[in-house]
Amino acid sequence: MSSAPIVEERGLRAWWSRSRRKVVPYVFISPFYILFIVFSVGPLIYALYLSLHRWPGTGPMRHVGLGNYTYLAGDPVFLKSLWNTVYYAIGAFLFILPLALVLALLINSTLVRLKSLFRIGYFLPILTSTVAATLMFLMIFNNQFGLINQGLALLGVPALKWLDEELVKISVLAVAAWRYTGINVLYFLTGLQSIPPDLYEAAQVDGAGTWAQFRYVTIPQLRPIALFVGVVTMIGSFQLFAEPLLLADGGPNDASLTIANYLYRMGFTNAKLGYGSAIGWVLALIIFCLSFIQLYLFGAFRKED
Amino acid sequence: MDGTLTRRAQRTIAYGFLFFILISMATPFFWLISNTFKEQYEIFQLRPTLIPEEPHLRNYIRLFVEFDFAHHFLNSAFIAVAHTVSHLFLASLAGFAFAKYTFPLKNFLFLVLLGSMMVPLYTIFIPLFVLVIRLGLVNSYAGVIIPGVAGAFGIFFMKQSMEAVPNELLDSARIDGASEFRIYLQIALPLVRPALAVLAVLAFMTSWNDFVWPLVVLRSRELQTLPVVMAGMVGMYRMEHGVIMAASLLSTLPILLLFLALQKQFVQGLTVGAVKS
Repeated sequence: MSSAPIVEERGLRAWWSRSRRKVVPYVFISPFYILFIVFSVGPLIYALYLSLHRWPGTGPMRHVGLGNYTYLAGDPVFLKSLWNTVYYAIGAFLFILPLALVLALLINSTLVRLKSLFRIGYFLPILTSTVAATLMFLMIFNNQFGLINQGLALLGVPALKWLDEELVKISVLAVAAWRYTGINVLYFLTGLQSIPPDLYEAAQVDGAGTWAQFRYVTIPQLRPIALFVGVVTMIGSFQLFAEPLLLADGGPNDASLTIANYLYRMGFTNAKLGYGSAIGWVLALIIFCLSFIQLYLFGAFRKED
Repeated sequence: MDGTLTRRAQRTIAYGFLFFILISMATPFFWLISNTFKEQYEIFQLRPTLIPEEPHLRNYIRLFVEFDFAHHFLNSAFIAVAHTVSHLFLASLAGFAFAKYTFPLKNFLFLVLLGSMMVPLYTIFIPLFVLVIRLGLVNSYAGVIIPGVAGAFGIFFMKQSMEAVPNELLDSARIDGASEFRIYLQIALPLVRPALAVLAVLAFMTSWNDFVWPLVVLRSRELQTLPVVMAGMVGMYRMEHGVIMAASLLSTLPILLLFLALQKQFVQGLTVGAVKS
């Protein structure tokens, strides 16, 4: 009788020493899943719920069905922000990424020394905050005394209004190019350096010239890194926020406004939480579809042959 | 003969282009530094001066006296350090669990973890803000730090390096009667110190430069971080260009200094996603 508790304790201990390696990992990973459910999954579902309602943040909600979404489809400001965002994404793909690739190829080539000077020099702007960088460019683009117009004046070119409706999107892209070109150079360099040198040797043995080596070795071998860079750039472009906000407050006349800017304006400035949430879900669907298309085009779903 | 000439021409073009881009990128920064020592009228001159005509520190003094720069600097530092320490702890603990244990649903849970990186911030932005208000976390550092503290990327990253910790070490510690948490803390963690350093600089920089989330959570001025306060300087009645440029420069300095000290960790941290893809 008196020995029973001891046996039980020993049993419990034996159970613990047997199963602690099954239980403990759940404890170790639980903070992430608790926070993920509370601060991501919950809000994601709540956003969907909100997007079906009209709600100014206090008082009762009014169910409007898909009303927010149908209104969104005909909202000229939203469509403008969508177009602007697409413009930024296209600009990033047409200018920032090709520039980064060319710089990476040059740094990686046997022609050039001082490799780390260029690598690190291009990389430095990413260390600045978007706020500090954009404020700096706000001054650079200033009509009267900005660095660019000062430079143009030295060349005898009349000043341009960089933050006006016609040019503001180019200016936003310039800020993005300043901050993000270097990090993409690093990504491409990582990819270039992971190409096995014997592939080039084999190509040389087969008599391939510089161009043929580039076309048939470098480009195919860069495919994984290009996919990564493409997806990261696309996701980043579609979530552009601080640059147009600080450079021109989304203006003038909404010419620089992004989807994220419009969502912020609706949700926080105008207290239309339902409408803002609908914008958020449309944004998520766009990003998801474009990621899927990119993965498909790059053959990420195809079996390796 | 012909070949060497072409090669020399190629080299000249390559260097020319590389230096052109480098100088284009560096010029704004030097212009900024120079302007922080100028009076507003000198900034406004049509012909830019690289060396200020009458250099002075008034922009910096005003930044500290009128805009309470030191106070907001400390706010940013506190949030960034708190975020970094708690993120490192949670990420390494979960990374350790994923690397060194087998348990039911492990693969499924890891897929969920990777999938969580797909949720766009702006989609959950509004409900997250409503939630933070309901939890009473609005206008508090906890409200800034907690929602993003257990990032999936950090766990994924730490799992990779935890896998290199030898199992024999862990098993012999178990035989000596160490608890699983002590094994993590005293055996696994010291062995992955290089990876922790990489993750630390990344987490610190991300938090230090963060703008949107602190902008909505921190309502009262005395709690606000540097990017939020600096963004507020733009809309002011009379924009103080010299002061704003001084703020931009000083707010970037800690990260630049950190970079000089830990260059390798920065480069590794920022490209790790590309390597692991």
